[in-house]
Amino acid sequence: MKPAPLEYLAAATAEEALAALARFDGNARLLAGGQSLVPLLSMRLLRPTAVIDINGIPGLDGIAVGDGVVRVGALARYSALETSAVIRERVPLLAHAVPFVGDRQIRNRGTLGGALCHADPAGEMALCAVTLGARLRVVDGAGRRELDAEAFFQGPYTTALEPTEMLEAVEFPDGAGTEAVVVEHARRHGDFAAVGVAATGLPAPDGSWRWIRIGLSAVADRARYARRASEGLAGTRLGPAEVEAAAAHCLEEADPASDVRASAEYRRHLIPILVERALNELARRRR
Amino acid sequence: MSARVTVALRVNGRAYERVVESRRLLVDFLRHELGLHGTHVGCEQGVCGACTVLLDGEPVKSCLMLAPQAQGRSITTVEGLAGRGELHPVQQAFRDAHALQCGYCTPGFLLGAVVLADRGVTLEGAALREELAGNLCRCTGYQNIVEAVERYLRQAAAGRGDG
Amino acid sequence: MDKLPWLGASVKRKEDDRLLRGSGRFLDDVEETRTLHLAIGRCPYPHARIRRIDATRALELSGVEAVLIGEEVIARTEPITVLRPFPGSAPTIFHGMAHGVARYEGEPVVAVAAVDRYVAEDALELIDVDYEPLPHVVTVEDALRPGAPQLHDTVAGNVVVESTVRAGEPDKRLAGAAATVAGTFRINRVSGAPIETRGVIARWAEDTSTLELWASTQTPHLLRAQLAHCLRMDETDVRVIAPDVGGAFGLKIGVYPEDIIAALLAIDTRRPVKWIEDRTEFFRGAAHAREAVHALTLGADRDGALLALRDRYLIDLGAYHGPLGPPLLTSIMLAGPYRLHDAEIHRRVVLTNKVPMGAYRGYGQAESNYVREVLVDRLARRLGQDPADFRRRNLLRPDELPFKNVSGVTYDSGDYARGLELALSRAGYDSFRARQKAWREQGRHVGVGMSCYVEFTGYPSSAFLGRTGARFGAYESVTLRMDRAGRAAISTGVSTFGQGTETTFAQMAASLLGLDPADIAVHRGDSQGTPYSVGGFASRTMIAGAGAIEKAAGQIRDKMLRIAGHILDVDAAALEATAGMIRRRDDPSVQVSIQRVSESAFLGHPLPPGEDPGLEATAYFDPPSSAFGYGTVVVQVEVDARSGEFTLQRYILVHDCGTQVNPMIVEGQVQGAVAQGIAAALFEELVYDRETGQLVNGTMVDYFMPTAADLPAFELDHLETPSPETPFGIKGVGEGGTIAAAAAITNAVCDALAPFGVELDRLPITPESIWRALAAARAKG
Repeated sequence: MKPAPLEYLAAATAEEALAALARFDGNARLLAGGQSLVPLLSMRLLRPTAVIDINGIPGLDGIAVGDGVVRVGALARYSALETSAVIRERVPLLAHAVPFVGDRQIRNRGTLGGALCHADPAGEMALCAVTLGARLRVVDGAGRRELDAEAFFQGPYTTALEPTEMLEAVEFPDGAGTEAVVVEHARRHGDFAAVGVAATGLPAPDGSWRWIRIGLSAVADRARYARRASEGLAGTRLGPAEVEAAAAHCLEEADPASDVRASAEYRRHLIPILVERALNELARRRR
Repeated sequence: MSARVTVALRVNGRAYERVVESRRLLVDFLRHELGLHGTHVGCEQGVCGACTVLLDGEPVKSCLMLAPQAQGRSITTVEGLAGRGELHPVQQAFRDAHALQCGYCTPGFLLGAVVLADRGVTLEGAALREELAGNLCRCTGYQNIVEAVERYLRQAAAGRGDG
Repeated sequence: MDKLPWLGASVKRKEDDRLLRGSGRFLDDVEETRTLHLAIGRCPYPHARIRRIDATRALELSGVEAVLIGEEVIARTEPITVLRPFPGSAPTIFHGMAHGVARYEGEPVVAVAAVDRYVAEDALELIDVDYEPLPHVVTVEDALRPGAPQLHDTVAGNVVVESTVRAGEPDKRLAGAAATVAGTFRINRVSGAPIETRGVIARWAEDTSTLELWASTQTPHLLRAQLAHCLRMDETDVRVIAPDVGGAFGLKIGVYPEDIIAALLAIDTRRPVKWIEDRTEFFRGAAHAREAVHALTLGADRDGALLALRDRYLIDLGAYHGPLGPPLLTSIMLAGPYRLHDAEIHRRVVLTNKVPMGAYRGYGQAESNYVREVLVDRLARRLGQDPADFRRRNLLRPDELPFKNVSGVTYDSGDYARGLELALSRAGYDSFRARQKAWREQGRHVGVGMSCYVEFTGYPSSAFLGRTGARFGAYESVTLRMDRAGRAAISTGVSTFGQGTETTFAQMAASLLGLDPADIAVHRGDSQGTPYSVGGFASRTMIAGAGAIEKAAGQIRDKMLRIAGHILDVDAAALEATAGMIRRRDDPSVQVSIQRVSESAFLGHPLPPGEDPGLEATAYFDPPSSAFGYGTVVVQVEVDARSGEFTLQRYILVHDCGTQVNPMIVEGQVQGAVAQGIAAALFEELVYDRETGQLVNGTMVDYFMPTAADLPAFELDHLETPSPETPFGIKGVGEGGTIAAAAAITNAVCDALAPFGVELDRLPITPESIWRALAAARAKG
């Protein structure tokens, strides 16, 4: 399995990368971590005329706090997210999600932006983005725009990114003081989730939760923020009845398919179980 | 005819400069252009880890990189461990623990373990198995590999006086 | 016999230094100038007519040297022979390339030779192939349905062979049984999946007019014989060399289509032609394994003595006989280590539009153990007996061996019950039920399961193999040569693929010659310069190889003693060879070095009158019988009854493989086999879509080979009951670990979920399959 012929360009600046994208008129692909892209090239499932290597562009991998958000550059690698104190303290859901991604080698190269643009419906980064209500900053030759994560993901491996656009950064709400949990069911360690649940929330001093947000992966054509389930938990203490209700709402949000990892029926069966597991773990974490 | 680019890089401490097809996978470049056959191909999908090399000291899967991406980088392959001399302690640990059978997956495991030792990591048991999950072995069932790496990491820590 | 100093020693492996340095020489590491690289176009349909192939554009691509199509291959070659078919099998015509019709997704249809693999793949995309999809069948049931497409004119009803083994009066015994249980079991299609895929380099040697083939193979000599036959060449004009092989497990036996394709193109282009299988091809071309459906019935009397066994099973062969043939040991070992005299085992081997099936570690024994041991547990439960007690009653005792089982094979030696007791005691079985009860009260479902096996290793003589239609013998051979420095070299046709033959052969020879294993070089895997060899499979190499080494070393030792006796003026019968010296048994100060003795042999002087110079011997050894290892696996699992998720908490295996040449290597083999046993039981399955007939998960991402994090640590123990028949009492050991995993884990899960009455009848066991079984049990109850 060897890639089809292609041209390689290493962009030194974002402007160069965007100009190249425009020049190739939709027939070029940005190369970041390459952990998803390169196998697709090798299998010839993708045959871009060119790949534009953005790994050398400075300033695309920063992790910065300010104005109530944590801004993470698209080129931030999983390994950096894993070891970042800022992420651990202020975007704990990401810190909990990253160990589920691939393996050590993949985490050394793969990037947040690459994962989001690849938009695997089982992907952990997309799950975090929709669960947290992240904003994605996208840029092209003409300028910038921002999208909500939910609007960014449009279907399996499909995003709102135009062929001449580049994802520049992701803004997560500053989650200092929040708790977070990720639970997955997979056939093997590090494998794509058959069902993924992310749960995060802000504990209130009186023992209740100010808000809870729940997200689901691998059970629809894209990662889903379980809005109804989440809103129903605001102000509650995550008692058994509330957790059960949330789990039931999550099931309604899901539209799973059958594949080699699990059937749709089994995914449906697991969703409330994993949601309960996640919420119970969340409740345990605050003690 | 596919585009070609020049790649200048260091491998096992030695400088190389080659003109290479843009689409050439890094693992193929190392093996066939530079003649370093110790890095192996097992899947070309980034699953089995037989192609693992160190890129600026970090383990990565070289079937998931295009050769041009190695421009200006420093790569270590298994050949860089012992050179022509005595076996590296990690290699000795694998030999002592009978942690290899056909040997095809072994270079990938060795390089990953060396990085852990350099970082002063002393994992064992389930936590170590998690760390090793990016490398598949079909011959050993992993048990002796885990034992070899555990022993090697403990020795490395003791050697640094922080065991 | 004199003590053998290196027998039973955990000598560190000679192979390791080069492998650890990355200096192992695997197939793709062999690089010659002017090599052309092959890419192969394969049928994307399960069954299709090939109407037209147009390679014009491909041939015009710069860097493309040649294209080969099926029409030429059919004209120039014989079909692939089958090394070990079921006796009475209808033939299938399997050429090196499809022509006219292709019968499985992945069957080669066209080949391109180009300057590198990248260009060859570019060229493939420029080749137009017109396919007309035909109706397909990808399950044995569909293949047997009336009106099903007939895959071969030579095979009526898609049944390659049908046969029955019968002993005693099974129907009568079952009718009179106090309890019978029956079950239908589906065993998954899996792949041995070594980390190194297949590969071959073919080169026409102009100077000798011979074909030279480098191949990642377990069987250089057998590959040579088959390839020569296919190419209509004399065997003497074909040379096969196996370099280091990166794992094989039964899948790299005999000639494959790609070997033939590479050879033809090498002959045509007069350049070396290299094919390295990629992983996408691998799942669609390298032998598949194990898939079968069994309908088994077991009966016992009121006291729990097994009375009879009846099995009707189907093997899903795929679209052709593969180069080796399908697994043959299912029927032979179905009765297991039990006292059984009445059985009927009916087998049908069925064609489907899938990759041809071959051997995979176990060769039918994992399949038979699974179905039998799961039903043994159900039978015990039906009778209200503890599964351990049930087995204790029925396991053959040492004084009952040798014992001829219902399929006609004779178990040689062993203490099966002791293996069971040792495993149970390791598991803390005596106190387990009380602990289980306590856990249940906490809402936790923990279970223990066991499986006993007896294992067929090696072959019981070439005559037996010949009678049953095999195209190879049971023997092994070596040439052993001393050099003037007093060191030895073994030449063997056996190749190395992880099983440590270089080291264990050296240990045997060193023990017999009075040398150190470090003084023994082992040249392996080259058909040229090695005597006829069968190869490394069927857990036969050590048995047969040790016998050959014993003979050859014996001849050399005797000659060394005669030469030494001449030099020392001592009767040879008073001498022994040990630690590099030849010396008087009763006065070790009277001695001469082996080096000096070897030198004499090469100088031709001083030698006893009438003694020829030289110090070498070639020997063949044909084992008089197979050898039967055995063991017990005990497993503890915890199951979440709501989700079906489970954890393998303990995995205990007690095994007996007779005399162990190198205990360290034996343990490694067992660990590796156990891992593959668990992998096939819990993780892996090659899934075909019934509607499209296509392989759904033929990638490393979707074929779930377990990582280190997915497997537990194994607890191994062993007994050592030498075989009374084989050299040094050695039995085979490479496959045993795969045999009992599925049954033990199934039994443990069912034990954990006993309150729910769960039964499992298919593999792999997954959380989903457990959840479904729980739902089925609820619906039934």
